[in-house]
Amino acid sequence: MPKPSDLLQGTLDLLILKSLAREPLHGWGIAKRIQSLSDEVLSVQQGSLYPALHRLEQQGWVDSDWKNTELGRSAKFYSLTRDGRKQLEVELENWRRLSSAVGLLLKRA
Amino acid sequence: MTFSRFIRICVQRLRSLFRKERLDDELDQELAFHLTQLEKENLDAGMSAADARREARKALGNMAVFKEECRDERRVSWLYDFFQDARYGVRMMRKHPGFTAIAAISLALGIGGNTAILNVGKAALLGDLSFPDARRLVAIQAVPEVTPAQIGPASVPDFVAWMQRNTTFEAIGASVANQEDFTRDESGAAAERLVGQAVTPSLFNVLKVEPELGRVFNDDEAPVGSPKPVIILSHHLWERRFGADSAIIGKRIRMDGRDLEIIGVMPQGFWYPNLNSEFWIPFSPTRYQLESSGRLFNVAGRMKKGITVEQARADVAGISAQLARDFPDRHRGWSATVVPLHELWFGWIREPLMALEAAVILVLLIACANVSTLLLARVPARQSEITMRVLLGAGRGRIIRQFLTESLLLSLVAGALGVLIAWWGVRSLESVQPPIGRIPISGLGVSSGILLDAILLSIVSSLLFGFLPALVAFSSEIDAQQATAHRRRGRLADILVSAQVGLALVLLVSSGLLLNSFVRLVLDDRGFDPKDILTFEYRIPVQDYMDSLGRYRGMPSFSFAPPTLQLQRVHEKLKALPGAESVAGSSARPVNGVIPPMAGVFVEGRSVQSSGQPDGRVVYFLVTENFFETMKTPLLSGRDFNQADTRSTPWVALINETMAHRFWPDENPIGKHFTIDAASGEQPREVIGIVRDIALQYIRTGPPQPVAYTLYLQEPETYNGFNANMYGQMTFFVRSHQDPLRLASAARREVAQIDPRRPIANVQTMSDFVGEGMRTRRYYAAAFGVFAIMATILAAVAVYGVMSSSVSQRTREIGIHMAMGAKARDIIRLIGARALVLVSLGLLSGFFSSLALTHLLDEQLWGITPTDPPTFALVITLLIAVASAACFFPARRAMRVDPTEALRMD
Repeated sequence: MPKPSDLLQGTLDLLILKSLAREPLHGWGIAKRIQSLSDEVLSVQQGSLYPALHRLEQQGWVDSDWKNTELGRSAKFYSLTRDGRKQLEVELENWRRLSSAVGLLLKRA
Repeated sequence: MTFSRFIRICVQRLRSLFRKERLDDELDQELAFHLTQLEKENLDAGMSAADARREARKALGNMAVFKEECRDERRVSWLYDFFQDARYGVRMMRKHPGFTAIAAISLALGIGGNTAILNVGKAALLGDLSFPDARRLVAIQAVPEVTPAQIGPASVPDFVAWMQRNTTFEAIGASVANQEDFTRDESGAAAERLVGQAVTPSLFNVLKVEPELGRVFNDDEAPVGSPKPVIILSHHLWERRFGADSAIIGKRIRMDGRDLEIIGVMPQGFWYPNLNSEFWIPFSPTRYQLESSGRLFNVAGRMKKGITVEQARADVAGISAQLARDFPDRHRGWSATVVPLHELWFGWIREPLMALEAAVILVLLIACANVSTLLLARVPARQSEITMRVLLGAGRGRIIRQFLTESLLLSLVAGALGVLIAWWGVRSLESVQPPIGRIPISGLGVSSGILLDAILLSIVSSLLFGFLPALVAFSSEIDAQQATAHRRRGRLADILVSAQVGLALVLLVSSGLLLNSFVRLVLDDRGFDPKDILTFEYRIPVQDYMDSLGRYRGMPSFSFAPPTLQLQRVHEKLKALPGAESVAGSSARPVNGVIPPMAGVFVEGRSVQSSGQPDGRVVYFLVTENFFETMKTPLLSGRDFNQADTRSTPWVALINETMAHRFWPDENPIGKHFTIDAASGEQPREVIGIVRDIALQYIRTGPPQPVAYTLYLQEPETYNGFNANMYGQMTFFVRSHQDPLRLASAARREVAQIDPRRPIANVQTMSDFVGEGMRTRRYYAAAFGVFAIMATILAAVAVYGVMSSSVSQRTREIGIHMAMGAKARDIIRLIGARALVLVSLGLLSGFFSSLALTHLLDEQLWGITPTDPPTFALVITLLIAVASAACFFPARRAMRVDPTEALRMD
């Protein structure tokens, strides 16, 4: 199973932004979303999510709010800001360019 | 970055700073929530409670590390460091309140002084005036080729030629000062005398300032000889006299018997060509003026874009040279030049400003040196602290930053104080009296920029004095050879102390010179006593009593019914004022007059009289009979005028000492006769008395001039020349033991009874009138005095600091010497040698710097040279005394060293 350090720098940010694109989630929810979307292939060491989340918050890409979960417990929900949504587009574009370049490279090698 | 994101980031940073506990709390809760969720999942998967918890912790990882990482993401740790350093700095400042206060005040003086002077200098010397594109504005002036220093106003033919033939100007306009009596109007505003300008309509194309209300003059409002009856008001006059009436355009006022329509109001802050002009009326030359060589008109021009002052100067000089060839009788001997308006108006401030700037730079340097010394002196005391921090991994940058934070703190305190000083400084500069015809600094409207400049200067100066000690502190810590570092620190401190002594000497010498010259000015004998005199002007307009007759000796000649009767009535009314001890009048200001009236004089019995050329020129005043009694001017010989001298008795005159010496060097002038060359109706006058010279300028410049005083009753009935105005006007002097200003309203009432259209004007005490220039010099001496005192205290503190640290470092050595039987004298020699060397070096460098620098003060000195030896000697003695006193206390401490104690010290 890949460790967080194995994830490309910036990829974690992309995954977080992407998983928040549909609806606001708490940290736990983001971890679950990444796990299930990737068919359990990608699993981050869950604690490392939080520095990344706080960084995104400090940079103004995401906003946070304390809300109750369906089970009635209070949790910190993160949501994309409008700027965050644009940033997601930018990062997705970067990712596509990078992965197609890498893919091309591997095909030729 | 979008704006919304910027705001979001700001909010985040602020929360990180001020809601630290809350954020930490939230972080704990957030992670706890995650942990419970993991645990629950594990339980659901069938684990035991203990296993579920252990696996959950494993999955989450090292919580402490992540928490720290989360906190690091807040990006404010540098700020925490800063606050920590600042708190430490404040603690240090409170531990040494005396040093801190002196350092802060001297820094504030330096910062505030520099800020004020830089702001004024920027506006005054770089031409940052309030007119649009002001750097293209110039004055065009006539230059007499014989005395090129006396450049000044131009004649109408000069102006017309420049306007028609130039190739370098967009527009050229002329103006001439115009005092008018505004008549009482229907609204009830009393009659008053106002100063305004008659200007060509083109002047507004030069200045390019739009009126606040109405319009400026049209070109067709100034046809030759008959300007249209229209007037533009200043904002100030509009507010003061017309209650800021917004419907004023189109209303009419009466001014000196003319009916004028108000067509415009200029905006607030607009002035031209001086601050006290309150109205503008159209000027158009008369036919006579079109051919006249009378040079009375101030000409201003707006240069075309891209034209330099040199090009414009060459242009007008070329035109004037052509004029001199074409019309030699009017123009020969005259050239022309161009002076930027800001230079003409404010150039006078350059010299005083440079001297002040030099002084405040010195103060700032001394203050910086002093604070450096202070911080350096603390380095040894902080060695262990710094070593500890370096061992704990603090980098070089972190240590230097701490030192810089402390110095920044100090200089920001000083900067805040400096803003106040800068504000005060600008206000003081604004109240400085400019030379005649120049504009006071208040015309610049300097005020903005002070705050920012003061902050910038504080930051720069904190770097200046903080960096050196910071570097030394750090290098001394990592330097294995402590002794080397110690020596380096010592040498640096020595240099700084010497420098402070030297700089202090320069400031002391400067303020000594200014003080010396100020005392001389105060004690100067001016031939009259300005105390307890109220003075004001009264005038009857020329057209009321004069008719043009033609020419006499090339000058226009007038016949007039002298308004002496009316002046006499005013004089009698004033003499009857309760509280008035003595009342006198004079045709012009006897002191500080703008241009003293001059006339040629024929001396009876001189052979040259046949040539038709006068035997000399004198300043002359028409006075009332008790003029000298009122002025308290001593009569040296002969008699004063008295009531028996009337229109029908033989004409008489009094002369001053200088006239007596110059015209009758080897004879007694009393009983001799002379004739004033002013009119065909003049008669010889007998010299009946000699009076002490009255200084024509209160702050005397140049050699004394011959002055003749004649009785205003004994005047001819025709007149020619430019001084015609002086017959219908009188400046009155009322001497009283009461507060002179309390007489003013009574005087106003009495005079209004004679003719309600004619107000008294320029009412003030004689002391105020003559004292303006003195006030400037007092400010000057006071400012330098404060700088010098500050600098001397700082130098003394520095010498004291060096001495006492050398005593404490050498306590053991002193103890050994004493144990060996050294006398007090030997101990003083031992520790005093260093101080002696430092102070001597400082004095020497200061002495030579002073010699090189004090000539900057030349303009401000009166009666002494910038290298006045007694002042130098006195000041050096004073500084030696202060330095000795600063050495005394550490020396006494050294002598009280107990040898046994000292030797036991580790």
